[in-house]
Amino acid sequence: MSSSVTDLHAVRAAAARPLTPSLSVDLAPGAKRELTLRNPVMTASGTSSNGLELARLFDINRLGSVLSKGVTLKPRRGNPTPRIVETPAGMLNSIGFQNVGVSKLLSDVATVWETWNVPVVVNMLGDTVDEFARLAQVLDGAPGVAGLEVNISCPNLDVGGVAFGRDPVAAARVVEAVVTSTTLPVIAKLTPDVTDITVIAQACQDAGADALCVANSFVGMSIDVNSRRPRTNRPVAGLTGPAIKPLALRLVWETANAVEIPVIGCGGIMDGRDAVEFILAGATAVQVGTASFRDPFAPIQVLEELVQYCTENGVSDINDLIGAVQVD
Amino acid sequence: MRRAAARVIQTEEIYPGTFVTWYDAPALSQHAKPGQFVMVDAGAERSGLDPLLPRAFSYYRFRYASPHDSERQFALLYSLIGRVTEQMASMQPGDRVWMTGPLGRGFEVRRSAANLLLVGGGVGIAPLVALADAESEHASRSRSIVLCFGARGAEGVYPAELLPPQVEYQVATEDGSMGRPGFVTDLFAEHLSWADQSFACGPVPMFRAMSPIVRRDGMSRPVQILMETEMACGTGICYGCAVFTKRGVKLCCKDGPRFELLDVYPNG
Ligand SMILES: Cc1cc2nc3c(=O)[nH]c(=O)nc-3n(C[C@H](O)[C@H](O)[C@H](O)COP(=O)(O)O)c2cc1C
Ligand code: FES
Repeated sequence: MSSSVTDLHAVRAAAARPLTPSLSVDLAPGAKRELTLRNPVMTASGTSSNGLELARLFDINRLGSVLSKGVTLKPRRGNPTPRIVETPAGMLNSIGFQNVGVSKLLSDVATVWETWNVPVVVNMLGDTVDEFARLAQVLDGAPGVAGLEVNISCPNLDVGGVAFGRDPVAAARVVEAVVTSTTLPVIAKLTPDVTDITVIAQACQDAGADALCVANSFVGMSIDVNSRRPRTNRPVAGLTGPAIKPLALRLVWETANAVEIPVIGCGGIMDGRDAVEFILAGATAVQVGTASFRDPFAPIQVLEELVQYCTENGVSDINDLIGAVQVD
Repeated sequence: MRRAAARVIQTEEIYPGTFVTWYDAPALSQHAKPGQFVMVDAGAERSGLDPLLPRAFSYYRFRYASPHDSERQFALLYSLIGRVTEQMASMQPGDRVWMTGPLGRGFEVRRSAANLLLVGGGVGIAPLVALADAESEHASRSRSIVLCFGARGAEGVYPAELLPPQVEYQVATEDGSMGRPGFVTDLFAEHLSWADQSFACGPVPMFRAMSPIVRRDGMSRPVQILMETEMACGTGICYGCAVFTKRGVKLCCKDGPRFELLDVYPNG
């Protein structure tokens, strides 16, 4: 404990002049259009609807970025119920992309986003490569839209979805089709359900993705032993929440070590210390998902606790924490 | 919608297996209406991760602790069905539990409606008592309220003495041990044409049995039902609580939990 005296000095110095850490991060360095966040805390797609509900609860502009519910070209009703089942420290969901379709999203919702002072990233999904490209075209230049998150990792669909994200060639084709159809920054959202995520990550990077989101939900299952039937509308569903955190963290670490572009960490983040873990593992930003179901203020709380961590630990720039885990 | 740590005032078992807990949290009760609900986050106080998700409970009753109080306390009614309700029942006066509320769209009572018919089964009684309380407060409006309640047997029947005296209470039990032998829907069928407005909360089979009764009646009378679905958030952000209606897919927590019976169960 030879450093305890200097630690104490550092703590006292920090207390004497409370430092406001610089939190700004860049998710698309060198892109045609920038995606700079005022802080690294984002919402996760499908866990904050389109942001309007949260905007009624707190100042949405405090967040780094807001993700839309996944959108498709045409409106979708989504899957039948039950869509949700709780599992130990987590939950399974099978929502199936219930959404109003991209036209209505732009006419009814993006007009609200436009009045916000926070970048909104649209999570989008097509059945085919061509549909991804068409979505990207429609969203390009739409007021209120700051970036695209390409969902090649949804486990709850019969067509497309996670199948794109499990094959490096298919993943790259989707990303390339989107990148060439838009001037917006493009994030590829990866599935955790692969043998080696770095292969997919590099394929997306080479195809022109500006950033990667690691990761979507794991494919899981739960069975009712009385009825002997799955407890969700489809036999398998997406597992999220604290139960997946160590797994997602490992994937972020592996991915960040394998690519040059920014990685966004996502999976089971409940508080500020979880966010710090992901950033230390190599994440430039984090997405808060399931935590918002328990407490809709969770993204703001994660942010406040992240700031507190920085202040208490003398971190003056959040970028200094990215990938700073010491493994030796 | 607010999030607050509600303080437990007291808990009592009002009939076997069914509990009522009173809470103090003005932010959660101030603007709450019968038919609305709170999400109870039983895990948060211990920052536990299991259970992870909050659970929905309808407002059951409101009261002022003293005549001079401007802030209402509220009560929730529940039966012990799992860890969350067991935890709620075991909390001591003074303990705190995080909740989010008031949520959803509650019952809508027309000013002109004189005869109100309330139909419930099981813990579906909770929002109906809140409604009966609120509507019997307006004595000047000279409303008549009939509350029909169904249970398997006498031990599951909500106690009559807990209801406001103005309410006419009709009970049906499947085993005939109390009130009318049969189903609560039989009582519903008898009173439907009397009612200016009807309100129901109970298990899905009850709603399904009510549907043909309303259609047979031929007047397509509106019946407001309070639905219960799986919910992850209760606040409109997860899309887990889908209700498939004649008017499209709705979210139970945000567009409901009040729906029109025939919109959801057009054919039973
Ligand atoms: C109910 C629900 C709906 C989701 N919908 C989407 C979606 O539309 N698009 C998407 O890319 N991810 C979706 N996800 C995945 C989340 O964005 C996130 O990747 C995942 O939940 C892991 O983070 P968490 O553990 O913090 O929730 C959804 C997750 C849940 C729980
Ligand atoms: S329970 Fe989450 S949207 Fe209704």
